[in-house]
Amino acid sequence: MTKTISLTLKVWRQKSGNASGKFVTYQVPTVDVNASFLEMLDVLNEQLLLKGEDPIAFDHDCREGICGMCGAVVNGQPHGPQRKTTMCQLHMRQFQDGDTITIEPYRARALPVLRDLVVDRSAFDRVVQSGGYVSVKTGQAPDANAILIPKQDADLAMDAAQCIGCAACVAACPNASAMLFVSAKVSHFALLPQGQPERQNRVLEMLATMDRERFGNCSNEYQCGAACPKGISVSNIARMNRDYLSSKMRLS
Amino acid sequence: MASSSIGKKQVVAITGLFLILFLIFHLSGNFLIYKGPDAFNAYAEFLENLGAIKWMARLGLIALFLIHIVFTAMVVIDNRKARPQSYEVVKSVIKRSWATRLMPYTGSVILLYLIFHLLDYTLADHSGHNSIVNGQAMELYGLVYNSFQNPIRVAFYVIGMTAVGFHLTHAIQSVMQTFGFYHVRYTPIIKRVSLVLGIAIAVGFASIPFYMMFMQSSCVTGG
Ligand code: HEM
Ligand code: FES
Repeated sequence: MTKTISLTLKVWRQKSGNASGKFVTYQVPTVDVNASFLEMLDVLNEQLLLKGEDPIAFDHDCREGICGMCGAVVNGQPHGPQRKTTMCQLHMRQFQDGDTITIEPYRARALPVLRDLVVDRSAFDRVVQSGGYVSVKTGQAPDANAILIPKQDADLAMDAAQCIGCAACVAACPNASAMLFVSAKVSHFALLPQGQPERQNRVLEMLATMDRERFGNCSNEYQCGAACPKGISVSNIARMNRDYLSSKMRLS
Repeated sequence: MASSSIGKKQVVAITGLFLILFLIFHLSGNFLIYKGPDAFNAYAEFLENLGAIKWMARLGLIALFLIHIVFTAMVVIDNRKARPQSYEVVKSVIKRSWATRLMPYTGSVILLYLIFHLLDYTLADHSGHNSIVNGQAMELYGLVYNSFQNPIRVAFYVIGMTAVGFHLTHAIQSVMQTFGFYHVRYTPIIKRVSLVLGIAIAVGFASIPFYMMFMQSSCVTGG
């Protein structure tokens, strides 16, 4: 028999973006410690449905920590208390019997709440659309190793490319800034030869979109990097700051 | 340049950096107090007589301060608005440093301090009756000495310098990141340098009010 714990959940409930929301308390008496956090919410939702209540809306997709859909603020921390772990990969053994867990949506002007724990992250999509790509002429697939890339650069680019766009960085930032996300997207091209032709425009365009979407400004607090489930480094923010400065100087 | 969030931040950083250079210059001048009234007064007179250079430096400093303050105000106000609804449970992922959190407040204390500081010395009469110690005209040195016989002013200056210390311990390392310098090995060292240098500058300035307060007036006049 697996161990179970009893929990009190305080969950943010909000019918729609325009509606006002409030915290609702739920008792969940038998939570399997081997359940994931989302599975725990699934079980609660089934009980709510049986009682004829609205289930708690939350985002999720892969449930294996790779898609970036899940995420909410659990006891004050995006994705909960376990570092480098998405909420779908967080397991209930991280909690103690009798715990009260507060679950609230990401809070940011740029990420408005759609319903309960679901926020609108399309601002991220618009940032990526404005420069998070390399323009290529289609045709034959290029030879895999035709362009040499130093191992160190390839590794750093891969590290930056690990960003799954979950927006935990925005949620954790005291200023709701998206600098870690944008800098990861900028860095992952800035470190590769294929990213060079559009490097300057890319950083300026993506930053312009970031500002237009009304994220906050970075004050170098580094909560973002610590909260990131993929461990994206704040060194990417430094790289973007550097690229911004040199792009501005060269283009002006 | 200053239209984007990073641009604003870089304006704050470059003006801040020049202000730090000014502080270091100012502090080295102040240390002449420890050499005695003659050295200090001669230095003050030298600065007074710089004429056009003096005014250029003054206007430059005023501009640096104004730009620094206007841009930080824009950034800080926007940051406050970036999260319209705060979290029910506030628990940062990593410990937040007080120096960082207090930046807008330590900055404001510095501004307030600065106003009184300018009234105290820069705009005061350097050879008025307040500069007389034991019946001798001691110029700026005497003015400084007399002013620090008042423990309330000493306390005010120490508070001002505490704010400077806090501000700088965050600022020095922050400037490096804002201009894009980050290195796994050197960044932790820079953070330590920032802490030490910030505290050293603050302690250096704050030592003077104490020194003046505890010095006998007979030592001032060399009697
Ligand atoms: C007069 C009032 C002052 C105010 C209101 C003020 C305010 C601020 C604030 C709020 C920040 C943080 C900006 C951010 O988080 O993005 C900041 C940064 C900074 N301040 Fe000040 N400050 C003042 C005076 C000074 C002085 C006198 C100096 C220099 C000695 C200075 C040097 C700096 C530096 C170097 C930064 C770091 C910029 C960065 O983060 O990259 N400030 N200041
Ligand atoms: S659901 Fe895909 S990362 Fe959590």
